[in-house]
Amino acid sequence: MRTPWQVTWSVWRALFLREAVARTSGDRFAWFWMLAEPLAFVVVMVWIRSLIGRVQYIFGADFVTWLIVGLTAFFLFREGVTRSLGAVEANRGLFAYRQVLPVDPVLVRNVVEGILKTLIFLILLIGAGLLGHPVIPVDPLGVIYVWCLLWLLGMGIGLVMSVAATLVSEIGIIVRVMMLPLLILSGVIIPLQTLPHHVQEILLYNPIVHGLEALRLAFFQHYKTMPGVDLLYLWYWIIGSTALGLAMHLRFSQRLKAQ
Amino acid sequence: MIHINHVYKRYHNHHGSDWVLRDLDLKIPKGVSVGLVGRNGAGKSTLLRLIGGMDTPDRGEIIRRCRVSWPIGLAGGFQGAMTGRQNCKFVARIHSSERSIADVIRFVEDFAEIGRAFDEPVKTYSSGMRSRLAFGLSLAFNFDVYLSDEATAVGDKLFREKATKAFKDKVGQAGLIMVSHSEGILKDLCQAGIFLHEGHAHWFDSVDAAIKAYHESIVTKDKSAKPAPSAAPRPPASKPASAQSS
Repeated sequence: MRTPWQVTWSVWRALFLREAVARTSGDRFAWFWMLAEPLAFVVVMVWIRSLIGRVQYIFGADFVTWLIVGLTAFFLFREGVTRSLGAVEANRGLFAYRQVLPVDPVLVRNVVEGILKTLIFLILLIGAGLLGHPVIPVDPLGVIYVWCLLWLLGMGIGLVMSVAATLVSEIGIIVRVMMLPLLILSGVIIPLQTLPHHVQEILLYNPIVHGLEALRLAFFQHYKTMPGVDLLYLWYWIIGSTALGLAMHLRFSQRLKAQ
Repeated sequence: MIHINHVYKRYHNHHGSDWVLRDLDLKIPKGVSVGLVGRNGAGKSTLLRLIGGMDTPDRGEIIRRCRVSWPIGLAGGFQGAMTGRQNCKFVARIHSSERSIADVIRFVEDFAEIGRAFDEPVKTYSSGMRSRLAFGLSLAFNFDVYLSDEATAVGDKLFREKATKAFKDKVGQAGLIMVSHSEGILKDLCQAGIFLHEGHAHWFDSVDAAIKAYHESIVTKDKSAKPAPSAAPRPPASKPASAQSS
């Protein structure tokens, strides 16, 4: 007889290898798109900015690096949530093996996605570095720390949404649609520093803003962010959403399996 | 030994929810093969799912003091884009240590006899090949109790014979709990029987007695002019999904 921990570990291991194979080899386009989407975003945004004729300068940061950092970090969060949405449904057949619980594929997908997005982040940074942009962070440990926080946030929200979207499928559609406005509201493309203070106050309710700005602070030495950026607020969201998500998985475990 | 302690189960749907199983209280001894009989919708598959741990009872509990398999021949857990070998590896990884994975793969490859297709994606398989793979995978592990929901009715004639033989070999070492409408197979493979009727379970030490009780219940039903209210049409218990999602 194996202990519950041994069972859980072997399930996670098996699921991880399965998800990693399925994610990277199932679809020839998958690898290309992982790299092409952020790349296309950066290119288009740089092109638009040069078209408008504004100076490509943001309060003590290189625009391209600033954009890459914000964009990949946001995508890390976004993929964590959206990949979680379908995780339960896609692995329905596996619940016949009673060792596999609905929460397992959600967690494993987040780990796979975190690793992939970290690789993409590094590739883009190296690319930008070769093109002559400053890409060495002033506080590498800080970057790693905040990067992990954003990953955890994606996982926490993903845990909640994986239950909600499986029980009520419309929620999944709403969450996917929400991601584009959220990208703009999180200050990925448009610097939020230039906005009036009362708008900033509202935008700061979004935990992703705190993560992205803290990440940029750790990246650029002379970066000026807006007042009120606080990692503790991000932590509240991470702990709250993870606890809620795990509780929902416990509560609805049977419904998720049977649906 | 499997203890079923005062188990109740029902599925919720829009038209209220009758109990599918009511106050089941059984002990299934180790090494005994049991056949489940009863009408369609009597809760046979539900009981099997409960024993297998794929579903939990609304009240009561099921205690498994042994290794219980998933329903034999279950092909739903295969990932279509991955090869038969990869899928087998996955299931082996869930169920056992890294050492025995190679043994499991070898056993399935020999048993399924699908040749080079073993390294092709499962989505290219025919349904027969799929069930060969699934059947081989179930037998590759040494469970104390095997669960079977009409599993022997798959594949071509040659494979059916092979499957039945493999079943018989296993019955010597392990227990078997099976649902089947083929009485020949039940009499062949099982010693004891459970007859499910109107939510209650009746244990019989011999499967012949269980089948006989089942037949008698049909006969009495035919004699009475109107069917009992509990026999109202209900979606089959094995597929609660269709009842809930509608």
